[in-house]
Amino acid sequence: MKRAVLGLLVALGLGLAQKTLVFGANGEPVSLESGNITDGISIYVQRQIYDTLVDFKPGSTELTAGLATSWFSSPDGKSWTFRLRQGVRFHDGTELTAEAVKFNVERWWDPKNPTRIDAAARYEIWPELFGGFKGDPGSILKEVQVVDRYTVRFVLSQPFPAFPAAIAAGYFGIASPAAIQKDGARYGSPTGSAVGTGPFRLVEWRPGEQVVLEKNPNYWKKGFPKVDRVVFRVIRDPAARLAALKAGTIDFTTDIPPANLRDLEADRNLDPVYRPSFNVGYLALNPSHKPFSDPRVRQAIAMAINKKAIVQAFWGKLGVTDGHFTPPSMKAFQSPKVTDYEFNPQKAKALLAEAGYPNGFEMDLWYMPVSRPYFPTPKEIAEAMAADLSAIGIRVKLQTKDWASYLNDRKQAPGFQAYMLGWTGDYGDPQNFYDPHFACPITDLFDASGKTLCVKELGDLLTKAATSANAEERKRLYQQADELTHSLALRIPIVHSQPLLAKRKNITGWTPSPLGSESFETIEKR
Amino acid sequence: MWSYIFRRLLGLFPVLIGITLLVFLFLQLIPGDPAQAILGERGTPEQLEALREKLGLNRPLYVQYLTFLKSVLTGDLGTSAVSTIPVADELKRRWPATFELALAATLVAVALGIPVGILAAVRKNSLLDTLSMSLSLVGVSMPVFWLGLLLVYLFAVNLHWLPTGGRLSTDLAIDFRPLTGFLLLDSLLALRGDVLWDALRHLLLPALTLGTIPLAILTRITRSAMLEVLSQDYVRTARAKGLAERQVILKHALKNALLPVVTIVGLQFGTLLGGAILTETIFSWPGIGSYIYEGILNRDYPVVQAGVLVVALAFVLVNLLVDLSYALLDPRIQYR
Repeated sequence: MKRAVLGLLVALGLGLAQKTLVFGANGEPVSLESGNITDGISIYVQRQIYDTLVDFKPGSTELTAGLATSWFSSPDGKSWTFRLRQGVRFHDGTELTAEAVKFNVERWWDPKNPTRIDAAARYEIWPELFGGFKGDPGSILKEVQVVDRYTVRFVLSQPFPAFPAAIAAGYFGIASPAAIQKDGARYGSPTGSAVGTGPFRLVEWRPGEQVVLEKNPNYWKKGFPKVDRVVFRVIRDPAARLAALKAGTIDFTTDIPPANLRDLEADRNLDPVYRPSFNVGYLALNPSHKPFSDPRVRQAIAMAINKKAIVQAFWGKLGVTDGHFTPPSMKAFQSPKVTDYEFNPQKAKALLAEAGYPNGFEMDLWYMPVSRPYFPTPKEIAEAMAADLSAIGIRVKLQTKDWASYLNDRKQAPGFQAYMLGWTGDYGDPQNFYDPHFACPITDLFDASGKTLCVKELGDLLTKAATSANAEERKRLYQQADELTHSLALRIPIVHSQPLLAKRKNITGWTPSPLGSESFETIEKR
Repeated sequence: MWSYIFRRLLGLFPVLIGITLLVFLFLQLIPGDPAQAILGERGTPEQLEALREKLGLNRPLYVQYLTFLKSVLTGDLGTSAVSTIPVADELKRRWPATFELALAATLVAVALGIPVGILAAVRKNSLLDTLSMSLSLVGVSMPVFWLGLLLVYLFAVNLHWLPTGGRLSTDLAIDFRPLTGFLLLDSLLALRGDVLWDALRHLLLPALTLGTIPLAILTRITRSAMLEVLSQDYVRTARAKGLAERQVILKHALKNALLPVVTIVGLQFGTLLGGAILTETIFSWPGIGSYIYEGILNRDYPVVQAGVLVVALAFVLVNLLVDLSYALLDPRIQYR
C-alpha cells in the first residue's frame, strides 16, 4: 500500500513536471524586435513569440493562413486585402486588430515614424524586400488602410503578386503596439519586453546565456504548443554544441557541420534532421574579363566542372546539383527543358577552341574565406573545380581575401574574374532568388566597359514576371527566366545544399522549414 | 609608501592612453570594411553607406580616435554596433563570470603548482621531479581549445560526470536570481546548496582548462626558486642549528622563495582575465572573453575596443597590486 501511494506520488510528480525544450543556439539573438534584424537566431526566437499575417505549411514554402484567415488582390493587382482572425490576443492581453497591423507595418516602412524609438536601429529588411522606405521612389507600398476592425489593405504602386509570400517572411512578426509604446527604446532588447501573439511568450533574456520562453496558454491554435517551456541556450562553438547534444544538455540544435553526419548516425541517442534546401551556391563568371565575355567560354566552364562528383564528395546526401538557379522546392517555377550541362571535357574543349582558346587561358578563381551553408568548405571545393578546369587547359589561380573585402571588391569594377558565392531565400517566391542576381542592373557583375551589367532580355522578363497578376503567366515567365539564365551561364549553380540539424531521439514533431526557422509549437518531448 | 602608490597610480594614465591608441590602431589594420562585414553578402550600397555613417567610419581617423577616447574618459564605452546595447552594461554584467573563472583557475594553479614545485625541488632528480617537469612541459604546450574539448568529451559526454558548459543547469538558471553575479557567493547568500553544487560542477572543467598553463608555469617557477634558496648559506645555517627539515623548508626557505612566485601568480591572474577567450567559448561561459570573441566574429568594433580596454585595465591593476605586495613580503624593498 505504502509503495503504491509512493508510486502514485512519483507518477504525479512526473506528470506535473514542466516539459522544457532546450534548443542549442549557435549565437546570441541580436534583437527580439521584428522587422529590425535579419540574423538567423533572432528570427528563430521571434518565430516562437510572434505570428505573421500569412504562414507557411510545415516543411514547405507553400502559403497557409496565419493571423490572416484569407487574402485577395484587387483585379489590377495593385492592392492586397487581408482578413484577420478574430479574438486573437497579444501576450499582454490587448487584441489583434487591423490598427495593430497598420502600426507594425508603418514602423518598418516609414523612417520618420515616431514609434521608431531607436535611432540606431536599422530596419534594413523592409526596403530590401519592398523596394524602399516610405518616400523612396522605388517603394512598392503606397499606403496601409484600416478597412474595418479586422480588415487591413495594402495599396501598392505596382502589382506585386509575391506580396503575401514576402509579408509572410519571419522578419515580419506582428507585435503588440501597446508593448512597443510602453517599452520605448528598450523594446526587444534584453532589458525590455517582446510581445506577440505566438505560441510562446518571453520570460527572460540573459545575454550570452539563454532566452527563456513560456507556453502561451491562450494561443489561438487550440492544443498547441505541446511543451511548457522553450529555452534557447547560446553555444557558439559547433564542437561544443555537438558535445552538449550528446550529453543531453540540449535537446535539439541547428548548424551541424556536414562532416559530423556520420558521427550523428552512429550515436544511438541522436537523429540527424535535414532541413529542405532553400539556397544556391554558385560560381559567378564576370563577362567584363576578356574570355568570359564569350558565352561559349562560360558554357565550356559549366560543362568542364564535374558538379555531380563535387557535390557527392563535399555534401554527400546533403546536397543536389540540377542546373536550376532556384532550389528544388520551387519546382513549379522551373522549366522542364532545363537539365544541367552534361559533364563533358571533350565538348568543353571543343567549345573553347571554337571561341578561340584552343590552348585554354589563365584565370583567377576567388573562393570565400568563410564557411556558409551553401559552401561549407569553400577552399577545397574551389580546388576541385580548378582541377576539373585544368583538364581542359584552363590554368586556375586560386585567390581569396578577408570576408568584408571579398564582398566589397567583387562588386567594385572591374570586379573579380570568377568567384564563389551563394544565396539563401527569404520567402517562397522565385523573385527573391532571381531579382537580387539578375534584375537590371546586376550589381556584382560588369560589362566590358566596367559598367554594371544588364542583360536586357532577362531584365525585362524578370520585371514582367515580378509584376504579372496572372499566376499561370507568372509561372511561365519564371520558367523562361530559368532557361535564359541557364544558357547565359553568368552564374553557374553548383549546389543546393541541405543544412544539417540534429535532435535527441525523445524529441518528435519537429518539421524544419526550408526558410530557416519554424515554430516549435508542434514539438513534443517524451 | 603612500606617495609611491600615488605615483604608480598617476603613471597608469599614459599606459592606458597608450593602450587605447594600440587597440584603436589594431582594429584599423584589419583589412576590409566593418560595415560590409556586418551586413554580409546581401548589403546594398545604400545600407552600407547608412551603417558607415552610423558607426562613424566616414570621419577622419584622428576624429574617430578622439571620439573614442573622449567617450572612454567619460565612462561611456559606446553601444554595440550589432545589438545597439550599451557595451558598458554588458561588460558590467559579464565580468563576475570571468573573474570567478580566473580566480578558480588561479586557485587550481596555486593549490597544485606550489606544493608540487616544492616537492620537486626538495627531491631533486627523483622520479616525482622528472614526472612533474615532463607533465608541466606538456601542460604549457597543450592548445587550450583541444584540451577543453578533450575534457568535455571525457567527463561530460562519455562519463556523464560533469556538465558540458554554461554556468548553471538550464532549470536552475531559470529559477535562481543572482544578486552579485558571483554565483558561488550568491548561492551562499541565498543559502542554496543545490545552486552552489551545480555552479561548482560547471566551474570545474573550465577552471582546469584555463588553469593548466599557469599550473605548469607555476610548478616550474616554484621549483627553480626553491632550488636557489635551498643552496643559500642561511639554509645551511638553519640545518646546522639542527632544525627539522620540515621547518627549514617551510619556515626559512619557502618564505623567500615565494617572492618570484607571487609575481607570477599575479601576472598569470591578469593574463587569465583576458586570456579566457578560448576557454569561455568552448564552455559557453558568459564572461568577457566570449563577449570579445563574439565581437571579433561580428566585427563589432565598440565591443572589441571596450572589451580589450577593460581587460588591459584589469591587467595593469593586478600588476600594481603585485608590486605593492612586494613591500609586504620583502622588507628589503623600499619605496621612496
